[in-house]
Amino acid sequence: MSGNRDGRRIDEARGILEGAGSHQRIEQSGDYPSTPAPATYAQVPGVDAADPTYYGQAVLKQPVWIWSIPAYFYTGGVAGAAAMLGAAAHLIEPRGMCGLVTRCRWISAGGAMLSTALLIHDLGRPMRFLYMLRVFRPTSPMSVGSWVLTGFGGAAAGSAVLPGAWGTFAGQVAGLLGMPLASYTAVLLSHTAIPLWQEARRTMPFLFIGSAISASAAALEFGRLSEREERAVTVFAVAGSVMELAGVAAVERETGRVPQVAKPLREGATGALWTAAKVLSATSLVLTLIPGKSQRMRKVSGAVGTLASIAIRFAIFHAGKRSAADPRATFHLQRSE
Amino acid sequence: MAKGFFTDTTVCIGCKACEVACKQWNQLPDDGMVFTGMSYDNTGYLGGSTWRHVSFVERPVPMGGADTAGMAWLMMSDVCKHCQRAGCLENCPTGAILRTEFDTVYVQPDICNGCGYCVVGCPFGVIDRLKDDGRAWKCTLCYDRLKEEMEPACAKACPTDSIIFGEIEELRGKARLRVEQLHESGVKEAYLYGEDAQSQPGTGGLNAFFLLTDKPEVYNLPPAPVVPTKKGGEAWVSAGLASLGLLLAAAGAVLGSRK
Repeated sequence: MSGNRDGRRIDEARGILEGAGSHQRIEQSGDYPSTPAPATYAQVPGVDAADPTYYGQAVLKQPVWIWSIPAYFYTGGVAGAAAMLGAAAHLIEPRGMCGLVTRCRWISAGGAMLSTALLIHDLGRPMRFLYMLRVFRPTSPMSVGSWVLTGFGGAAAGSAVLPGAWGTFAGQVAGLLGMPLASYTAVLLSHTAIPLWQEARRTMPFLFIGSAISASAAALEFGRLSEREERAVTVFAVAGSVMELAGVAAVERETGRVPQVAKPLREGATGALWTAAKVLSATSLVLTLIPGKSQRMRKVSGAVGTLASIAIRFAIFHAGKRSAADPRATFHLQRSE
Repeated sequence: MAKGFFTDTTVCIGCKACEVACKQWNQLPDDGMVFTGMSYDNTGYLGGSTWRHVSFVERPVPMGGADTAGMAWLMMSDVCKHCQRAGCLENCPTGAILRTEFDTVYVQPDICNGCGYCVVGCPFGVIDRLKDDGRAWKCTLCYDRLKEEMEPACAKACPTDSIIFGEIEELRGKARLRVEQLHESGVKEAYLYGEDAQSQPGTGGLNAFFLLTDKPEVYNLPPAPVVPTKKGGEAWVSAGLASLGLLLAAAGAVLGSRK
């Protein structure tokens, strides 16, 4: 295993690997671990007295999360909001909206399974995913979320496959757990040192819930529904899109207090993605409001709504990453308080 | 018994013996030989396999109490702060990160599943997940040495006693005395960073605190770090209210579809 080529250069005939870091697994192919080398600083070293940084180096670590995390924000949101709609439809109209209820249950069950897979895929040690349920730690939104997703997944699967009263009960439980499932992901992001995410803590939950509602309505547009069910989905979609757009404006306002923090939402690739998300969201609202749509137009509307939600999650995610790389975002935010 | 470090940056000579001692004792892999152009700092940052990092700041600012020809060269050996309110620990969903009997913060490698939530929870950017290993790592404050009543490798190796290991209360006394002494000899810039909850309410004080002579930003330290948990309440309140919005939207959609 170790020896000369693992970056430790310890001859195992002479030294025992018992140190705290001796079991760090590192690439066997090369000499060095894959942490990136810092960029070479080309200017004459000196300090900007008024607004200093340490050679422009990031003060925070980059989030290690990959694409599957924002993708999960989307799938979890769709599952949670769909479960809630299904539960409400069954409670208020036990017989009148069977098709919608069934679809909602299958979407929530499938969404929960996909969500779990996406989360496990992101882990550094995927085989240890069950350790997520080793403790319950209320100070960690990820711990709270793991338990919520576990409970939700069981209930949603039950609602899809169990017959009669059992299925109904499971559906109601999934509906209830759908609320924290669709909203805690915003808390998960805010509960960090990343300036943009931390600063958006009061408004991001509204954006995420709005996005979850409109995305689940968009997913429902892809299937055949009765006329009444279509009307219900339309109302749900409008409510979601309005909340989503209001959430976008609120997040911009809240983060805009410190210009350096909101910069990634305004400039560069992340700013462009954020703008695209806003355009998609507004387009989705307009398409939803067109009366008497054909089945084909419904699918187009659903596709736009889906893309809007996905774009919002990825824009927030990547903008946060960029704000982590900018030491001044952290410094300005902390100096402003 | 709370143990920790007091790092007096005014006597640091930038020899990096602490970095070497840490790597050697903990048998950490090297990070490659790179040239950064950032003064003598070719280490760059703390990371999963770098638990001590000496930063170097050459700046055209004179230091009080000495003729330094209008220049001052700051050096600081950075390390995990072992916060009283530790963002990594409070964010860890598996219980892999715990507080030891020495009041230090320790990551259990056999529990960590590499979720990465500690990485974004740390307001100092200390802990990191290693790509090939998949787990999060940081300074253990030489937990293995402490259990044998030995001082941590970095403090042991420091030739100028810039890094002093000891009981927190005792260290605070020493540190305050040192600041007074420096002020008397003309180094008016000297101050303590994070020595207790009063000076840094956001973290409840650091078990590894510093004596600095310039703004924290110059050393790449956050000026007013706050553990995420302290601000999380507001996010949960919003999440609760937003969830009610979901409930209302669902009920409204069903009721609104009636003719």
